[in-house]
Amino acid sequence: MDSLAALLEGFATALQPQYLLYALFGVFVGTAVGVLPGIGPAMTVALLLPLTYSLDPTGALILFAGIYYGGMYGGSTTSILLNTPGESASIVTALEGNRMAKAGRGAAALATAAIGSFVAGTIATVLLTFLAPGIAKLAVQLGPADYFALMVVAFLTVGALLGSSVPRGLVSLGLGLMLGLVGTEVLSGQQRYTFGVPSLADGIDVVLIAVGLFALGETLYVASRLRHGAVQLIPVTRGWRSWMTRSDWRRSWKPWLRGTAIGFPIGTIPAGGADVATFLSYASERKLAKGRAREQFGRGAIEGVAGPEAANNAAAAGVLVPLLTLGLPTTATAAIIISAFQSYGIRPGPLLFENQSGLVWALIASLYIGNVLLLVLNLPLVGMWVKVLRIPRPYLYAGILAFAGLGAYALHFNVFDTLTLLVVGVAGFLMRRYGYPVAPMVVGGILGPMAEEQLRKAMAISQGDLLYLVHSPFAIIAYTTMAVIVLGGIWLKRRRARLEAAPKLVPTSAIQAIDEATK
Amino acid sequence: MTTETPDPAGGPRPAGAGPRRPIGELAFAVVCALLGVGVIVGAGAIRVPPGSASVLGPRVFPYFVGALLLAAAVAVVVAIATGHRGQPDEGEDVDPNAKTDWRAVVLLVVVFCSQLVLIEFVGWPIAIAVVFAGAALTLGAKRWWIAVLVGLGLGLATQLLFGTWLGLSLPAGPLLDWIPIFNG
Repeated sequence: MDSLAALLEGFATALQPQYLLYALFGVFVGTAVGVLPGIGPAMTVALLLPLTYSLDPTGALILFAGIYYGGMYGGSTTSILLNTPGESASIVTALEGNRMAKAGRGAAALATAAIGSFVAGTIATVLLTFLAPGIAKLAVQLGPADYFALMVVAFLTVGALLGSSVPRGLVSLGLGLMLGLVGTEVLSGQQRYTFGVPSLADGIDVVLIAVGLFALGETLYVASRLRHGAVQLIPVTRGWRSWMTRSDWRRSWKPWLRGTAIGFPIGTIPAGGADVATFLSYASERKLAKGRAREQFGRGAIEGVAGPEAANNAAAAGVLVPLLTLGLPTTATAAIIISAFQSYGIRPGPLLFENQSGLVWALIASLYIGNVLLLVLNLPLVGMWVKVLRIPRPYLYAGILAFAGLGAYALHFNVFDTLTLLVVGVAGFLMRRYGYPVAPMVVGGILGPMAEEQLRKAMAISQGDLLYLVHSPFAIIAYTTMAVIVLGGIWLKRRRARLEAAPKLVPTSAIQAIDEATK
Repeated sequence: MTTETPDPAGGPRPAGAGPRRPIGELAFAVVCALLGVGVIVGAGAIRVPPGSASVLGPRVFPYFVGALLLAAAVAVVVAIATGHRGQPDEGEDVDPNAKTDWRAVVLLVVVFCSQLVLIEFVGWPIAIAVVFAGAALTLGAKRWWIAVLVGLGLGLATQLLFGTWLGLSLPAGPLLDWIPIFNG
């Protein structure tokens, strides 16, 4: 098979000692930063971007892949071990994982999360390996109108599905599109919305938007309502024996596979990323559980950790399918990865597999390697991650602020970027405070200019005939799918809102709400 | 913990969810609407190159973006007016019952602003030390000298790692430029 040979070549590149070291370093740093409370995968990737600035493209992307997977994984450790009651419903893993930890089975929860991530990540990467080249081949035939359709789908699904209300998501998207407008316009070469500031002529870098919203905005928001007092961690028993018993294995493997089956497809479509996948996986595990396991749900059922964690990681790999084959970012993290590609003059999209095939396959190979490294690294290092979780919060957030400053300044070595970062950061703070999702803004910032380009290309081809936008079967299918996804997503969100706004947020009633919703 | 969750319909809310009258929330939505108006007005100032009448000009997309922003922001204003308030984000370190600490937010913004001047005048390591120590103390670090020492260490370490080793041109500043390892 074609792609198999290419993959082997990719392995030959990625297994070179120097690149292997980058992968190891990426996985390690990604996990270490991802474990830090308050730092999600998007922020991990955004904050660690400066590390890649001076590497060659292959090395940078390999490092980046490690950071991406590591950051994904680190987050689950946090939600299992950190004792923060009251908000468990927002992270599905914490529902059961936190409870398992409290019951003294934290090690088993961490182990099933780690092994499940590995299984799901590997299967999803295999799927990516075999699906991506085919999709890329199909995608080469797509015209500007089709691309525009895809981007509209991504806009609306991301804008409408994330966050608590549709208008707020669209405002966030609009703000991102607005920032995307700033800069030199491609076709006529004139500057738009730059107010004569030379630094704005190149546009506002999406890294600034992401770091501003996630690092600065988050820090300001946490600072405004910091949980004071000692950090409460749930102790984990040491030793290999306590990790997973035979029955844990028996109860985990099916949820892993089901989680993968749910997570990967959802990751590939722009439907709000891993959140939806983890929720669906949790709901289905809860529904499928029988006997003793069913009684345990809500009190620490291992299925409720294994499934969502697998779904989470499978979705992370699924996101890479539209990213690599169509150049379409569907999550905030993907938007940052695209901008990293762009800084090397590489344009993700259907031609990537032809023009940069060495690079792409090295990247995909490093995903396999990263998965293995995560597994060998994380099980023994749990003790260290626990220490990381204990960092006093003032120093943690001071450090995030310092690195946000580094990320902004290192872009162009110009303090104007620092100022832009600050403005975006304050906006991010207000958005969090008033319940606006921030991810649509990041996606809008990077996808806006791309969409305008495709739209204008399409219009140039059709001589201004708007019907051209829906002339191809592909575009029609895309718009129809969009309607289905948005309606289905809003329905799902209602269901979930009912779960999270259950009369009293004692976890048992939250569980009941899921129960009712799945009946 | 077991306190009631914020009720979107404006029922009893925890203290941290904002004042009863959503002035700040309304103001933010109105500012977004005004930004939308600004984008539309600004689009009118974009020069349309001659001879592109039948093709989509450089103004159309901005008009669209402005209209989207304006419409969505107006929808939010209407939603707030009818009692559908936004739900503040949750997070591991966020205390849902805390009152908003505006002093900390303003101080952090000021501390972060100091970089605008300090990076160019005293160099990267010291600017970072100031940001780190300032932020840590604002957030309630107990011992100021630890914050300062860690900040200095972080500044020097990033200067070494990113400036010297990875080759990014971070200015070491007049205080450190004489050390060979820092001026690359």
